[in-house]
Amino acid sequence: MTAGVGRGARIRGRFLANRMAMASAAVLSCLVAIATFAPWILDLLGLDAQATNLFARSQPAGPDHFLGTDEAGRDILARLILGSRASLAVGLTTAVTAAAIGTVIGLFAGYFGGWLDRVLMRCTDGVISLPLLPLLIVLSVIDFDKLGIGWIDGGSGLTLIVFIISLVAWPTVARLVRAETLSLKSREFVTAARAQGAPPLYVIRRHILPNCLSPIIVATTLSVGKIILLESVLSYLGLGIQPPTPSWGNMLTNAQDYLFSAPELALWPGLAILTAVVAFNFLGDGLQDAFDPRRDRR
Amino acid sequence: MATTHTRVLAARAIAAALTIIAAAAICSIPFWSTPSGAADKSRLTIGMSQYPATLSPVFESMMAKAYVLAMARRPITVYDQDWRPTCLVCTKLPSLEDGTAVWETAENGDPGIAISYTLNPAAVWGDGTPVTTDDVLLSVEIGQDPQTGALNAELFRRIDKVTVQDDKSFTLHMNKRTCNFENIAGLALLPNHIERPIYEADPQSYRRRTAYDADPTNPGLWFGPYRVARVAVGQSILLERNPSWWGPEPYFDEIEVRAIQNTSALIANLLAGDIDMIAGELGLAADQALGFESRSGDDYQFLYKSGLVYEHIDVNLDTPSLTDLRVRQALIHGIDRQAISEQLFQGKQPVAHGNVNPLDKWYDPDVPKYDYDPTKSVELLKDAGWDAGPDGIRVKDGERLTLTFQTTAENKTRELVQQVIQNQWRAIGVEAVLKNEQPRIFFADTITKRAFDGVVMYAWLSAPESIPFSTLHSSQIPTEENAWQGQNYPGYNSPEMDETIDRLETDCADEDQRVLWSDLQARYARDLPVLPLYFRAEPYVLPKNMTGLRPTGHQYPSSLWVEEWRLTE
Amino acid sequence: MLSYTARRLAESLLVLLAVSFASYILIGLMPGDPVDLMFADDPEITAEDIARLKALYGLDRPLLERYGHWLGNAVSGEFGYSRLYQQPVGDILMPRLLASLQLLGTSTVLGLMLAIPLGVLAAARANSATDYGINLFCFAGISVPPFWLALMLIAYIAVPVAWIPAGGSAEPGSGMLETLRHMLLPVLALTLAEIGGFTRFMRGAMLQTLGQDYMRTARAKGASARRQLFGHALRNALLPLVTVIALSFGTLFSGTLITEAIFSWPGMGVMIYEAIMGNDYNLALIGLMIATAFTLLANIAADIAYAALDPRITARGGDDGP
Repeated sequence: MTAGVGRGARIRGRFLANRMAMASAAVLSCLVAIATFAPWILDLLGLDAQATNLFARSQPAGPDHFLGTDEAGRDILARLILGSRASLAVGLTTAVTAAAIGTVIGLFAGYFGGWLDRVLMRCTDGVISLPLLPLLIVLSVIDFDKLGIGWIDGGSGLTLIVFIISLVAWPTVARLVRAETLSLKSREFVTAARAQGAPPLYVIRRHILPNCLSPIIVATTLSVGKIILLESVLSYLGLGIQPPTPSWGNMLTNAQDYLFSAPELALWPGLAILTAVVAFNFLGDGLQDAFDPRRDRR
Repeated sequence: MATTHTRVLAARAIAAALTIIAAAAICSIPFWSTPSGAADKSRLTIGMSQYPATLSPVFESMMAKAYVLAMARRPITVYDQDWRPTCLVCTKLPSLEDGTAVWETAENGDPGIAISYTLNPAAVWGDGTPVTTDDVLLSVEIGQDPQTGALNAELFRRIDKVTVQDDKSFTLHMNKRTCNFENIAGLALLPNHIERPIYEADPQSYRRRTAYDADPTNPGLWFGPYRVARVAVGQSILLERNPSWWGPEPYFDEIEVRAIQNTSALIANLLAGDIDMIAGELGLAADQALGFESRSGDDYQFLYKSGLVYEHIDVNLDTPSLTDLRVRQALIHGIDRQAISEQLFQGKQPVAHGNVNPLDKWYDPDVPKYDYDPTKSVELLKDAGWDAGPDGIRVKDGERLTLTFQTTAENKTRELVQQVIQNQWRAIGVEAVLKNEQPRIFFADTITKRAFDGVVMYAWLSAPESIPFSTLHSSQIPTEENAWQGQNYPGYNSPEMDETIDRLETDCADEDQRVLWSDLQARYARDLPVLPLYFRAEPYVLPKNMTGLRPTGHQYPSSLWVEEWRLTE
Repeated sequence: MLSYTARRLAESLLVLLAVSFASYILIGLMPGDPVDLMFADDPEITAEDIARLKALYGLDRPLLERYGHWLGNAVSGEFGYSRLYQQPVGDILMPRLLASLQLLGTSTVLGLMLAIPLGVLAAARANSATDYGINLFCFAGISVPPFWLALMLIAYIAVPVAWIPAGGSAEPGSGMLETLRHMLLPVLALTLAEIGGFTRFMRGAMLQTLGQDYMRTARAKGASARRQLFGHALRNALLPLVTVIALSFGTLFSGTLITEAIFSWPGMGVMIYEAIMGNDYNLALIGLMIATAFTLLANIAADIAYAALDPRITARGGDDGP
C-alpha cells in the first residue's frame, strides 16, 4: 500500500475540519437513524402513517397532528418519517448497486485491457448516451413476466426502481475505476506482484481495489442525491414508489394536485428531499476534498 | 483591492437576495392576485388536459377529439343535455308511429329494422357544397371497408344497406333490432367531394392521408359554427367562425383549445389569464376543482355535472373467497361510500347504488341499497366462515382474507379513494394489497385479459340508455378462446340476467322496458358482480359572466351546443 | 486526428444500431400494442376487428421481422407515420427538436454567463463565507425536484405577473418579443437546475489550475492576483468546461422533459415521453435515436476538442517563458 501511516489521519483531519461536510454527516446520520427506526418511532409517538381519516382532511398543524394532515387525512409527520425509509433506501441501495456494477466493469476493463476493454467501454458509452429518462420510462412499464423475471415487479415497486436505475447509473463509476486501474497498473507494487506470478484476481483484490476506493466512495455519495431526485421525478410520471407506501417523491407528487388549495402539503416533502440531497452533495464534496491526494503534497 | 471588496459585497447581496427568493417560494402563503385577462367576445381560450390524436371523425375515439370536432361538425343525431335523443343534422328522429322506422326481415333472415332520416336542407360544408346523401354513402362505405380500420365497426356491421331517396333523404336497413334505434351518432358525415378521391386512391393508407390531418384548415371539411383555422400539433387548435354555418350565429369570434396535461399547470394558466375556462369533460378531477374553488371560488363560475362516468370495483368471481356472496356483501357494507362522497367530493359525486344513473330514464329508485354497516360486514364474514386472526385479518382454513386491489397509477383521485377503502376494509378484517399499474398495462392487459385475481377499480363511460350487454352478458366473459372478446371482466354468469338483457334489446314497449330495467338493476344489486362506488362529476371552471354552457354528463360533449355560449357584458 | 474521428464515428454508429435494436425490443415488451389500447376504449369492438386491425398495423408479425422492416425503412429515410399525431414522423420531429434546442441553448448560455463568474469568485475566495454561500445556492439548484421548481415558478411568478405566460409557446408568426416572453419561465427553470453543476465545476477547475506548478511559477514571478486569476487560471479552467457543456447538451432530452411537460413547451423530451406512453413506435424510436445520436456526437466533439486544445499546450503558451 502506498499511503503512509499519516495519510488516513490527514484525511480524517481534513474531513473533520470541513464544517459543511460535518454538518451534512450529522443531518444524514439523523435521517438514516429515523429511517431505520421509523416503525418504532411512529409507535412511540402514537402515529400511524397509513390511517386515513375522511373527517380530518388537509388539517393545519395542531396538537394532534404536528405538521397537519394530507388530502386523505393522514398525519404528514408520520408519513414523512415512514417516507424517509423508501426514499433513502432507494437512494442508498441503488447507488451502492450501481457502484458495484461499475467497479467490476471498470476493474476488468482497466486491468485486462485489449478487446475486453474496448467492448466494455463501448457498452459504457452506449449506456451513457442513452436518454436516461425516456429509457427509465420504457423500463418501468415493460412486462417483466415476458422476460421470466416477474418477481422483480412486486409490492411497492422498490425492487423494480432499484433495478432499473442501477442498470443505467453504473457508467460514471466504471469510467472512474477504469482510469484509476490503468494508472495503478503501471505502479511498482502492482508490477512487482504481477512479476511474482500473483493471479490477476488476487492482484485486483489485494492491490488495485483498495486504492480505487476513495473515488468510488465519493462518486457513490454524490449519486445518492441524484437518485433520490430521480425517484421523485419517476413518481411525478406515475412510475415511482406505489401507494400506500409513502416516499417523499410520491408525497410531493400527490401534493402538486393541491398546489392551489393546500400549498403547504408540498412544503414538507419538498424540504425533506432538498435537505437530504443537499446534505449528500456536501458530504460527497467534503469527502472529495479530504481524499484529494494533491492536498497531501501541499 | 477595493474592487475585490465591492465584488464580495455584491456577491453577498446576490446570495442574500436568492435566499430571500427561495424562502419566499418555499413559504406557503399564496400571493397570487385576481385573474388578469378576462375573456372577451373576440376569443375564448379553453384549456383541457388532452390533445386529440387526429381530427378525423373516423379513427380513434377520444374525448379530446370529440370535444374539438363538436364545434366544427355535427353528428346526425345525439343525446342532448336532458339525455334524450335529438336531431342535430336531421330534420326528425325516425319513429315507428309515423312509419319512418319499420320492422323488417334482414337479408340473413334475422329480425331487422329500416330507419329513415332527412338531412337538414340548410346544411352546407364550409366551401358551400351542400351536405347530401353522398356524404352518408361515403361514410358507410369507409366504415364497412375492413381495410381502413375505421371506428364503430359494430354499427357498420349492423347496416345491411343504405337506400337513397334523394339528395337529402336516406334509409338505413339494419340487420339487428334494437329499441333505441334512433341514435346513429357513430355515423360521421364525411365530405364526399374532398374525401372520396383520397379514399379511393388507396383505401389501406386512407387513414394517413385523410384531409382532416393532412389539410385540416380546408374549410370544406367542416360544417359546424366554427372551422379549424390553425393547428399547432400537440399544443393547440384555433377555431374561427364558419361563414357558411347554417345554424344560429355563435357569440365568440374565435375559440382556441389548448392542451395542458398537468392539471396544476392548467389551474395556473387559468389564474394567469392565459386560458379563460377549463373544460369539464377533460379537465380537473372533482376534488381538485373543489379545493381550487374553496380558494378562488369568487373569481370563477364552477359547474359540477354528475354523469355517466361510473366508478366501480370489479370483483373476480372466479377467486374462491369472492365467489361467496356474503363476502361481497361484507365488502360493500364495509365501504363508507356516503363519507367518501361527502368528505372527498362535497356530495358532488353521488353514491352509486347500481350501474344505472339516477338521471337515466330507466333508473329505478327502489333498487336494493347497501349502507355503511361494518358490524353487519363482520357478521356476514363470520357467517361465511372467516374468523378474526391474530393480527385482525380474518382467516378460514388457515388462509388469510387477502385481496389484491388494483387500479390505474396515474389517477390520483382513484388512488386516494383506494387507500381509504383499504383502511375501511382493514377495519372489518379484510386485507387489501394494492398493486397499481400504468393505464396502458391496466386497460390493455390486466382487466381486458382478466389477469387480476382480486378486485379492480376503474370507470365506465357510456351513453344514456345503453344496455350493459358487453359488461354483464355471460357470452361477454373474455377468454383465450374468444380472443378476449367482451367486457364482462368479473366473469358474471347468470342465465336470468342474460335473458333480461336479451329481452331489453327486443321488447321495446315502454312498459316492458321499465320492468326489464328494474329487474336488471335489482339483479345487479342482489348478485353484486360489481361493487358500485359513485358517479363521477365533471367540474367546469368558467368565466364568471359566461352563460349558455350546459354540461351533458355523458359521452357527447357540451361543445355540441357551442353556439349557445355567451358572455353577459 | 482524422482517423481517430472516423473510428469514433464508426463506433458510434454501431452503438446507435445496438441502441435502436434494444429500444425496439424493449418497446415491444411493453404490454398493450396500439390495437389492444383501442380495444380497451371501445366496448363494441369484436375479436375479428382486433385480428383485422392487427394485420393492418403489421402487429401480427414477429418482433424481429418488424424490427428488420423498420430498420430498412429508417435507413432509407422513410421514418413512417406517427400513430399519435397522424403525421409523417419527420414533420413532427423537426419543429420539436428546434424547440428543445432553443430552450436548452438559451439556458446553457445563460447558465454559463452566470456560472463562470460565480465559479471564479468562489475559487478566488475559497472557504470564505462567499464560497459557502455560492456552494449552498448551487446545491439548492441541483437538489430541487424539477417539477416542483417549475410549479413554484408558475405559482409565484406567472400567476401574479400578468405579462409572464404560465406555459405554451408563442403563436406561429408572432414576433421575437412574444417568443422571448414565452421562453422566460422554462429557461429560468432549466438555468436554475443547470447553473449549480457548471459553477461547481468551474470552481473545481479554477482551484486545480491555481494549485498547479506553472501557476506557482507565475505567482513566484510576482504576477498580480487579478492577472493570475484571469490571465492564467481562467483560460485553463475553461477548457475542461467544454466537456461538461457537451455532456449537458447530450442529456438534453431527458433533462428538459419535465420542464417541457409543465410549461406545455412543444419539445422533444415530452414528445418522446408521450410517444412511449402512447405506443407510437415510429415516433418514439426515431426520437430516442436522435437523442442518443446527439449525446454520442457531443461526446466525440468534446473528446476531439479536448485533444485539440490540450491544456499543457495552452499552459506553455500562457507562460511568457524565462
